[in-house]
Amino acid sequence: MDAALIAGIVLVLGIAVLLLLRVPIAIAVGFSAFVAVAAVIGMEKASFVAAQRMFTGINSFALLAIPFFILAGVLMNNGGIAGRLIDAAKVLVGRMPGSLAQTNVVANALFGSVSGAAVASAAAVGGVIGPRQAKEGYDKNFSAAVNIASAPSGMLIPPSNTLIVYSLVSSTSIATLFVAGYIPGILWALACMLIVFLYVRKRKELNNYQQVTLPVALLTLWRAVPSILMIVIVIGGILAGIFTPTESAVIAVVYCLILGFAYRAIKVRDLPRIVLDATVTTSIVMLLVGVSTIMAWVMAFSGIPAAISNGLLGLTDSPTIILILIMVILLIVGTFMDPTPAILIFVPIFLPIVTEFGVDPIHFGIMVTFNLCLGTITPPVGNVLFVGAKVAGLRAEPVIKALVPFFIALIAMLFVVAFVPQLSMWLPELLGLLAP
Amino acid sequence: GVSGNAQEGKTMVLSLNQSESHPSYIALTDFGERLKAATDGRWDIKVYPNETLGAQQEVIQLVSDGSVDMAIASGTQLENLNPEFATLNLPTVFKGIDHQISVLRDKGIVGPLFSSLEESKDLTVLGGLTQGDRNLYTVKGPIKEPKDLAGMKIRVQESELHIKMINAMGGAATPMSYGEVYTALQAGVLDGAENNEISYVTQKHNEVAKYVARTRHLVGLDYMLVNSTLLEEMTPEDRAILEAEWQKTVDEHVKLWNADTEKAIESAKASGTKFNDVDKAAFDKALAPVVESALTSDDARELYEKITEAAQ
Amino acid sequence: MNAIKSVLDFLLRWLCIALFAVLVLVVCWQVFTRQVLQDPATWTTTAAQYLFVWLALFGSAYVFADRGHIAVDFMVRLLKISHKRYTEAFVQFIILLFAVFVLIWGGLRGVDLTWTQQVSGLPVSVGAMYLALPISGVLTAFYALFHLVEALRGRGLPDEFDEEIREAI
Ligand code: NA
Ligand code: NA
Repeated sequence: MDAALIAGIVLVLGIAVLLLLRVPIAIAVGFSAFVAVAAVIGMEKASFVAAQRMFTGINSFALLAIPFFILAGVLMNNGGIAGRLIDAAKVLVGRMPGSLAQTNVVANALFGSVSGAAVASAAAVGGVIGPRQAKEGYDKNFSAAVNIASAPSGMLIPPSNTLIVYSLVSSTSIATLFVAGYIPGILWALACMLIVFLYVRKRKELNNYQQVTLPVALLTLWRAVPSILMIVIVIGGILAGIFTPTESAVIAVVYCLILGFAYRAIKVRDLPRIVLDATVTTSIVMLLVGVSTIMAWVMAFSGIPAAISNGLLGLTDSPTIILILIMVILLIVGTFMDPTPAILIFVPIFLPIVTEFGVDPIHFGIMVTFNLCLGTITPPVGNVLFVGAKVAGLRAEPVIKALVPFFIALIAMLFVVAFVPQLSMWLPELLGLLAP
Repeated sequence: GVSGNAQEGKTMVLSLNQSESHPSYIALTDFGERLKAATDGRWDIKVYPNETLGAQQEVIQLVSDGSVDMAIASGTQLENLNPEFATLNLPTVFKGIDHQISVLRDKGIVGPLFSSLEESKDLTVLGGLTQGDRNLYTVKGPIKEPKDLAGMKIRVQESELHIKMINAMGGAATPMSYGEVYTALQAGVLDGAENNEISYVTQKHNEVAKYVARTRHLVGLDYMLVNSTLLEEMTPEDRAILEAEWQKTVDEHVKLWNADTEKAIESAKASGTKFNDVDKAAFDKALAPVVESALTSDDARELYEKITEAAQ
Repeated sequence: MNAIKSVLDFLLRWLCIALFAVLVLVVCWQVFTRQVLQDPATWTTTAAQYLFVWLALFGSAYVFADRGHIAVDFMVRLLKISHKRYTEAFVQFIILLFAVFVLIWGGLRGVDLTWTQQVSGLPVSVGAMYLALPISGVLTAFYALFHLVEALRGRGLPDEFDEEIREAI
């Protein structure tokens, strides 16, 4: 048997069996990859290859942005920023039919534009708006569904840790990916707003809104300015070439820290707990990155990506069908796997195939991220879904039913994003970011 | 390592940092094909391009441990293992590609250096592949002498020597990873960079920095590393074939390199790049103290003198 | 074993907090020297990267203490409770194997192979940086062993299966 076949069988069987037995994903991938390397080059050499790949996989300046954005996110959750963003969202869309539900969507998009964590957004925003919606007579399952469906938009709107991971495996520019994510991220939110609109159209009782006077509106928006200013500093700093993405992330940390102290929402003695929170999230992601590097090595060594690519290309030579196939495979993967490990595992396989058809790696990154983010709101593994339901104090099953229309709209939007490259590429092109 | 038992043959794994269109990849895949034919299929080479098996520093460790058989590594990487390699990385040490290649083939000059890592690291240096003359390129120009570079931020690799080199040439050395250079030139964060013509064009830096000053301050150099144990296990006949085919590879590579350089220059000119000659003596004079300060040991000075003599 | 675990948890927790804090300071210093002093520090990038690897590896060991690494648990949820102690023991056994073969053995071989190789710009060797692998490996192995013994005794098994989530599946 040739190396590719042996390594491939060990990887697929090993990971599948270990995952089903509830071995943590990182260990299932890492251990199977180690065994696969050992099968090809022997155990002693494999031990060093695995250790070295893990070590160097994490040893990257670009990845360093991730712990900082995570820390900034935790600081934000503790720093009273979510509340101000919700108030600002209310001023922006409060006069639309179904104002509270629309506010929820916009607040999640705003929260996403300062943080990269959909789960944090679902918890922080849903926790505040959910009870208010209940008071106004919204169906509880529907309002939880609105919150859950709109939270992942923040993983496309920069800053986004998921896009940083994609930039790492695809060797693309973080700045370009960030800019490319804006329109698809906003489209994600608009798809949710459309479903809310259709839902409340026949429910007159949900069309009430509170009249906000202009001074109050201005004051509310003014209170949100410091939070919005962070976007200007972080994204503006990257685009102007003042900071690298990593440096801009540490600036975000310092900025959130200052805001937290200024709002008197954070005390010095809270800091160790906040840092530890960020450490735990960071380490979970980084262990995944490290072990995926072992797997990427054994796959490259034994020629697996080329074999899969030949297999796919043997099925059909239509770029459209292959792209649809890849999207469907990733939608299935996403149902039981988080975006980060899924990107680390599948992008090295699929990216070479689609670039051969002329798909831009930046565009592919956006459609893959959009696709895999859908998985965060589906069972059986869906962080945003379960956290969103938990925050609302609801069982998951009825919430999932209420999510169905959102899900359909988002899948439709996924195919729009996949087949209209301009949605992702127009803004980076406009800003002259499409470097070779 | 374990030696003594002769090995019948295998497909050797060779790690390369360049892409499939690069002269190094083409020359090395041809190397594998000729080796296979000459050894009746006993020995073959599979080239893994694009750093898929790891960055150079890591792959050297893998070759040392025997998980990967061969690798192309830059001079800077070898300098980290044995400082004696530094002399071949110095600016102005080689007069040009031909001088460089003749030195790399002269066992009397580089023999001890190329076998210096066998005992400690199980690594043999089979030889070198040129990475061409390096020139300065800038957004504003032309640059003709060191004082024209005053205050200009010039990108360098993260290397002590290159920082000193650019500062000596009159610019302000700015270490930055190569992938960020395009946007940095565009945004005005950088005023220029330095590289060979092929990289200048393949990285599309010609779109944002239109002035190339032919400073030829450095001739780039990559080494071919092989796991020593594997070499020892080859039969003497097969090893002789390997060495002979390698020398042919070096020749083919120089030809490919020169042709690609010509093509790169033509396409840069077509897109508006202006090439200009410089006061080479003035730049060499500015670089002399950098060379001098790097020759810290007697061995290094002796090696440097042997190399300079070979140019005459 | 419980006492040892508490002490290790405590030390590891503060080590991670300290590493993270230093990491933030180092990158801040990098921005400061480049933007304000106009004289970029050359050591900060490398130092930050190695600090980050240490943080990730020790943080990862700390997460093993809590069994916090994400897993896919819908299959095990369908198994009967009585099997769960054995599946949990198996999980910890695999973590133990990974820690021993990759983190400890591979890590020590890495330390050995790179002990004399200098990190450019810093007064340390790559091998010294690689020490994070075997050390975090020993910690991870200890935690895996701890949870393995606990599982076989039928203690500390993962939370009873959430009714709501089973219905969702
Ligand atoms: Na975001
Ligand atoms: Na899912």
